[in-house]
Amino acid sequence: MNQPVLNVENLQVSFRTDDGLVRAVRGVSFDIQAGETVGLVGESGSGKSVTNLAIMGLVPKPPGVVEGGHAWYGEQDLLAMSHAQLGRIRGHKIAMIFQDPMTALNPLMTIGQQLTEVTRRHLGINQKEANRQAIEMLDLVGISGAAKRLRSYPHEFSGGMRQRVMIAMALSCEPDILIADEPTTAPDVTIQAQILDLLRDLQQRRGTSIIMITHDLGVVANICHRVMVMYAGRIVEKADAVPLFQEPRHPYSEGLLASIPRWDQDDSELLQAIPGQPPDLAHLHPGCSFQPRCPYAEARCREEDPGLLPIADAEQRLAACWFDIRQRQGQWQTVGGEENVE
Amino acid sequence: MNAPVTGPRGNAAAAPKVPQDAALLEVSGLRVHFPFSRGSLLKPEHGVVRAVDGVSFRLREGETLGLVGESGCGKSTTARGIINLVKPTAGSVKLAGREMVGLREARMRPLRRQIQMVFQDPFASLNPRMTVGKIIGEPLAIHRLAAGRERKLEILRLMELVGLNPRFLNRYPHEFSGGQRQRIGIARALAVNPKVILCDEPVSALDVSIQAQVINLMMDLQQKLGVAYLFIAHDLGVVRHIAHRVGVMYLGRIVELAPARQLYNDPKHPYTQALLSAVPVPDPSAQEHRQRIILRGAVPTPDREYPGCAFAARCPIAEPRCQQVVPVLADKPHAAACLVNDPDAS
Repeated sequence: MNQPVLNVENLQVSFRTDDGLVRAVRGVSFDIQAGETVGLVGESGSGKSVTNLAIMGLVPKPPGVVEGGHAWYGEQDLLAMSHAQLGRIRGHKIAMIFQDPMTALNPLMTIGQQLTEVTRRHLGINQKEANRQAIEMLDLVGISGAAKRLRSYPHEFSGGMRQRVMIAMALSCEPDILIADEPTTAPDVTIQAQILDLLRDLQQRRGTSIIMITHDLGVVANICHRVMVMYAGRIVEKADAVPLFQEPRHPYSEGLLASIPRWDQDDSELLQAIPGQPPDLAHLHPGCSFQPRCPYAEARCREEDPGLLPIADAEQRLAACWFDIRQRQGQWQTVGGEENVE
Repeated sequence: MNAPVTGPRGNAAAAPKVPQDAALLEVSGLRVHFPFSRGSLLKPEHGVVRAVDGVSFRLREGETLGLVGESGCGKSTTARGIINLVKPTAGSVKLAGREMVGLREARMRPLRRQIQMVFQDPFASLNPRMTVGKIIGEPLAIHRLAAGRERKLEILRLMELVGLNPRFLNRYPHEFSGGQRQRIGIARALAVNPKVILCDEPVSALDVSIQAQVINLMMDLQQKLGVAYLFIAHDLGVVRHIAHRVGVMYLGRIVELAPARQLYNDPKHPYTQALLSAVPVPDPSAQEHRQRIILRGAVPTPDREYPGCAFAARCPIAEPRCQQVVPVLADKPHAAACLVNDPDAS
């Protein structure tokens, strides 16, 4: 394997709250190769967004604390950098697109001003050159009449178009890594499909690595090469996309896949819901954090956390489970079920 | 398609509890238009946004009708128009044969008891200063259905029915998770024993694993109580799962209406076909074999009237006549408002 573009090692992030220390990210490690798309999947509170905020140095401090870990970008550790150093990388070598383009774009600046601000700052080019490049970028993301649109304000664009502007902005310095945090959540399905096409196309042309943070497994199946499933601040399964969807090896991944209603299949029975709800990250119990909701859990699961373990018959696949779940299937509960509150 | 029907969802026609003709809720020609003014003080422009522009459908007892479409298609406004949260501009809404449009508040109240609504955002739709017991009991008080000890027992029964622990009677909404708040919203809607519940994106704010719990609960309640749902959502998977029949909306109109299985397996309207082709499937190997239909242009704005089919400008199979003739949605089990694909549309 080649040298990864980014290598995250044992990242730990917590937030101080009135309720105690919330351990949002609890030892996350992964790497990403050039030209690869890695999906970071999980539900609210799984730590997927905080992981990436930490990499970008954007965790609000206080209340956030990056308690440990490294994020190696080449020889440099992003987590050990000063603000100024990080500022030179952020938006330049590593860029980010957010869920809601309206909050990420400045409503008082024209699209042109916002696009050229980034390139002038990071690439040191003059306004004329920056304008030319901005037009090229808008063309690339499929915004017609780009030269004229530079003078438009964000509110003059539709949701899908704003998302494109943000992608253009993120890509304008030709970053090595693009972090996309739920980029397709807000817009409609037809626009979502266009954005995924666009990202896939840009990756092929420029070899950008993409970290795709999403809760939508359809999006993951559509664009990701590898997938990491997160639960309660940890990665619980790591696998290539195709085998993960074919045969999930962690009970949570299995439950997650089974709880999606499929529009392309006749499934007329009740859905396989995962009973209960995610744990309170301020008051974690020892043992596996999925155990209270897991249909396969045994005594050992309540005491010892397995951590990510290699899977004997599948190379480069890891799952944080003591068991081979293939032998235990068919134990999911399918009723509406009562939720428990502590 | 001779697959065995595995449950009442398989096929609306096979469901024993759904009578064929008795329309519980009959909506015809519903229009909700919003007048607007824009431009400068000196050069004002007036117009009308046709949010809902002639929607007709029937909802039967114990049935779930799904309404899908992209944002701005008018699906939520349709629901709001039905219960007069926004005033319909034209059209008729009949509940068990009784006209609701144009009724005065006092006459409306007993009818409104029959139709309740569940909203998308369980964080915004519950009063944060009221306990769960108060929230669920409020409709009982408004409609004077139960008081005192009787009301309390009824509240406890409802909590149990939706899977909430009755111990939480005196807690406040912020102490609950999203899924539990949606359960509270459902219990409140059920308190007055309605015949119809209008559900506006009831699960789209929830995480998938919790979403499945709430969908299962809603299906279970329908089995037990025989309540009918108008289920509005943008997630086509959720709708297929829960709905017996599905209507697809585009620009304020229903462009296709069919039993769920037919609609998904054999979509007739080109917009439905394009919409289905764009939804990602959570299966990479199935994903590879799919053909995307890419629509030209953006969704047109609902602030003007279109001479022919409103979809014609983006339609891959449009013919010259589509620009002139407005297609209609025929009254038959699987209808598409498409001149090209449905012979009954003209």
